[in-house]
Amino acid sequence: MKMRNRSLSERIFRMVLRALPFDFRADYGPEMEQVFRDQHSEAKEQGGIVGLIRLWWAAFLGIFRTAPRQHWDMLKQDCAYAMRMMRRNPIFTAVCVLTLALGIGANTAIFSVVHSVLLNPLPYREGGQLLHIRQQEQKTGVENMGFSVHEIEDYRQMNSTLAGVVEYHGMRFTLFGHGDPERVRTGVVSWNYFDLFGVKPILGRTFLPDDDELGAPAVLVLSYEYWRTSFNGDPHIVGKTFTMNDKVHTVVGVLPAVPQYPNENDVYMPTSACPFRSSKEMIEGRDHRMMEVFARLKPDASLQASRADLSMVANRLRAEYPKFYTDSMGYSTVAAPLREELTRNARPTLLVLFAAAGFVLLIACANVANLTLSRMARRERELTVRAALGAGRSRMLRQLLTESLLIAFLGGGLGLLLAYQSLPLLAEFAARLTPRAREIHVDVTVLLFTLGVAVGTSILFGSIFAFSSREDMAAGLKEGVVAATGGKRKNRLRSALLVSQVAFSFMLLIGAGLMLRSLLKLQETDAGFVPQRVLTMRVNLNWSKYTTNPQVVSVSRRLLEKVQSYPGVLSAALSSGFPLDPVRIGQSPVQGDYVIEGRPPRPGEANPRTSVRIATPDYFKTLGIRLLEGRTFNDADNEDAPQVGVINQTMARHQWPQEDPVGKRISFDNRDHWVTIIGIVADVHEFGLDRAPVDEAFGPMAQNPALSSLLVRTSGDPMSMARQISQAVHDVDPETAITSVVSLEQARRDSMTPPRVTTNLLALFAGLALLIAVAGIGGIMAFSVSQRVHEIGIRMTLGAAPGSILRMILGQSMRLVLFGAGLGLAGALAMTGLLRTMLFEVTPTDPFTYAGVTLVFIGAALLASYIPARRAAGIDPMVALRFE
Amino acid sequence: MAAKKQEAEPYLPLTPAMFHVLLALADGEKHGYAILKEVARRTDGRVRLSAGTLYGIIHRLNGEGMILESSKRPEIGLDDERRRYYRLTDFGRKVAIAEARRMEEIVAMARAKKLFRKPELA
Repeated sequence: MKMRNRSLSERIFRMVLRALPFDFRADYGPEMEQVFRDQHSEAKEQGGIVGLIRLWWAAFLGIFRTAPRQHWDMLKQDCAYAMRMMRRNPIFTAVCVLTLALGIGANTAIFSVVHSVLLNPLPYREGGQLLHIRQQEQKTGVENMGFSVHEIEDYRQMNSTLAGVVEYHGMRFTLFGHGDPERVRTGVVSWNYFDLFGVKPILGRTFLPDDDELGAPAVLVLSYEYWRTSFNGDPHIVGKTFTMNDKVHTVVGVLPAVPQYPNENDVYMPTSACPFRSSKEMIEGRDHRMMEVFARLKPDASLQASRADLSMVANRLRAEYPKFYTDSMGYSTVAAPLREELTRNARPTLLVLFAAAGFVLLIACANVANLTLSRMARRERELTVRAALGAGRSRMLRQLLTESLLIAFLGGGLGLLLAYQSLPLLAEFAARLTPRAREIHVDVTVLLFTLGVAVGTSILFGSIFAFSSREDMAAGLKEGVVAATGGKRKNRLRSALLVSQVAFSFMLLIGAGLMLRSLLKLQETDAGFVPQRVLTMRVNLNWSKYTTNPQVVSVSRRLLEKVQSYPGVLSAALSSGFPLDPVRIGQSPVQGDYVIEGRPPRPGEANPRTSVRIATPDYFKTLGIRLLEGRTFNDADNEDAPQVGVINQTMARHQWPQEDPVGKRISFDNRDHWVTIIGIVADVHEFGLDRAPVDEAFGPMAQNPALSSLLVRTSGDPMSMARQISQAVHDVDPETAITSVVSLEQARRDSMTPPRVTTNLLALFAGLALLIAVAGIGGIMAFSVSQRVHEIGIRMTLGAAPGSILRMILGQSMRLVLFGAGLGLAGALAMTGLLRTMLFEVTPTDPFTYAGVTLVFIGAALLASYIPARRAAGIDPMVALRFE
Repeated sequence: MAAKKQEAEPYLPLTPAMFHVLLALADGEKHGYAILKEVARRTDGRVRLSAGTLYGIIHRLNGEGMILESSKRPEIGLDDERRRYYRLTDFGRKVAIAEARRMEEIVAMARAKKLFRKPELA
């Protein structure tokens, strides 16, 4: 076409024309420009500036009204054509859709968790302003000391950046007056706790300042769930009364259905109603710390300002009460956004899984791209003919992209279904990591994400057309179909796709392999006790009936006698807790400080601390904890006898590295009473198999009554005796509530659930990746053989043995696989550092795992390429030479 | 030709702009700008089509077989190679007639209802 100078208005009109589809422009563009030119000169002559404005307005309007219709028509045509093509190749379509469904499904599922847990704001009024405040002892490694009543008051008074400071602690009390005595999870909170979170009741009211006064009538607020399930959503519940802790409690309100943090509770009471929180010792003791503290930032205060503010308060407390905040503690106060605190444990795991899912999708894309390339080769004739009939390159590209978009949408739809199905399972898993797991759901954002992933995917694998179609159109016409299919450029592209699939799946396999090895190590860990055939249950005495030590001692004696009288019970014990208790797993141990006789602490140095457990004599026998030295408790260690204690190996090693601790004395009450150490027992992993044993001391129940757990070693299946033993407890005292009945074996298994689920998911993703990659290798080699039949025939005619053909094809495939594996290895070395925090006794560069994964991968790849290689070796040269 | 057997009814009613384009071609082939001018002239400038609207209609009428690009070109001196000429097909004529009849019937109905006053009809 002749070039000529265009005026500004012509250039602008030409630009506006770009809103129309390419084909339409190609058909009518020059004419439209011509018409516009004519109209322009006419308008200028007859209408002047007004005429020109009118013309431009009409021109814009006309094009922008026409464009959507033209695009829509073209899309309809393309879709109809794409559907025809898909129906004609059902196997290809099914394989692509399924591969993408797996990739997109995995991503959608993990994203819905990441979105609900990590990205969504908290479901409270201005949730971003909510803080969790912790006091910590940096030097002794205690991350959360809890707060005492005095400290809460001090922080409330002295801060200048917080709009509110509230306290929380969780308790379990027995509620009477509603059928059987019921153990209810109780949140004990400041009167303005719900106001701070911005939660309004759906019935009645929440708490008022007067409710918090000591001696105020006891009131309760019910959680929505508890009100609905236990009271069938009774609309007249407000005003009803129940008895708890020997006091009448009146229901004053019901909460809406909001997620409850930090724990799910059945009922809430103000601090004055909790017998522990309102006791004199608790109120007066600056170091009686039990409460969690939450706060809301003032609207104009920043987190940084608040942190500085709180550390100033901490400094003042340190200066005013040096006795309580010694230098050796490393006392400080930390404020963190509540949202971060609630998801701290979940973040690394979820991000690793998200990355893994992303890898699976990339591998799926590469695979579909490769499949598409192979099929393009078969469609070359069709495409060439269409090109010859005048379909422009961009028109054909648009057609092919429509096909890939349709496939991606089908895959996305199926993937969404898969994700939706797997969500309850994922939510259960996430619940082990964060209380926000209850919020997990599929919403518009998740749907948009899936849509985005599907579109992105289709562009990713569809853009392969752009690479491949350019040179082939002309070549196809000139040289015929066969010559056009095996272009070097396309072979390189296929190889690159294969190598990237291998590299990504290799990385995933390494990750899964490391997690698996870590899990195996964890399973092999000697917990320090024998978990088989032990039944555990939490027994919750109605403590208001057992106020003195002799009363508790007497009821525990009767309880044990009754349980031990059953045939099938080998031994039984009562204790203040047990190892790997699901309720306390993962928590920091509650520790008490003590002094050692004859070893006064140096000035400025804190007393040593230890975790303390109270137990009846048969505790060690029942759990199978080995005695290393001295003796354990017996019935003679009663109230009237001198106080005795047993310590674990770690405590012995820490405090008496050179001496024998047996016979030494320690005091937990600042030298008022002395406890003589009578024995050393083996270490037990109390708070998780992956956590190192901590210092631990044991005291006999008869001297320190505190019971919460009943442990029974049975001769048969422990759970089969659960009902009988619960009955025994009720026979002794019908007002005792029994909760969480579980075998110790189960508790041990449950303690490994988070790493097990992470490992399973990662292994599932890695397995998928391996499957897709191996199928890809097999497919590509099969395609390559089918393209080289002629060449192989010539080689064989010239004397090549089938064995050498086999080796040639295998060699070709293994070169690519090894190259990919090498890249994957480098990637794995760079990436697996992310897994470090999740691994137990395995380094991210564990050579055993790397070697194992390499062997498995190469074995699978060999197997996949063997089938097409054998086919190549079996080619009949005479047939092959005729093949065209 | 297949178009001959096609029924016109499914394509009715036409949009006013489409009808005008068909009418403009009723008395002979024209290029795009000529169509615009003819429509504007016959409607006293009340209907002014823009290039975008016109070629959207041409594309559609062409696709539905109502018009065709004409192979006849003006004499060499008068021909502008950028312009394409369009003519009405038999089917296009059939549709235009059907549309005119449809309008006629509506006008007749309006007349029967005495919707028009005499002076206006005159």
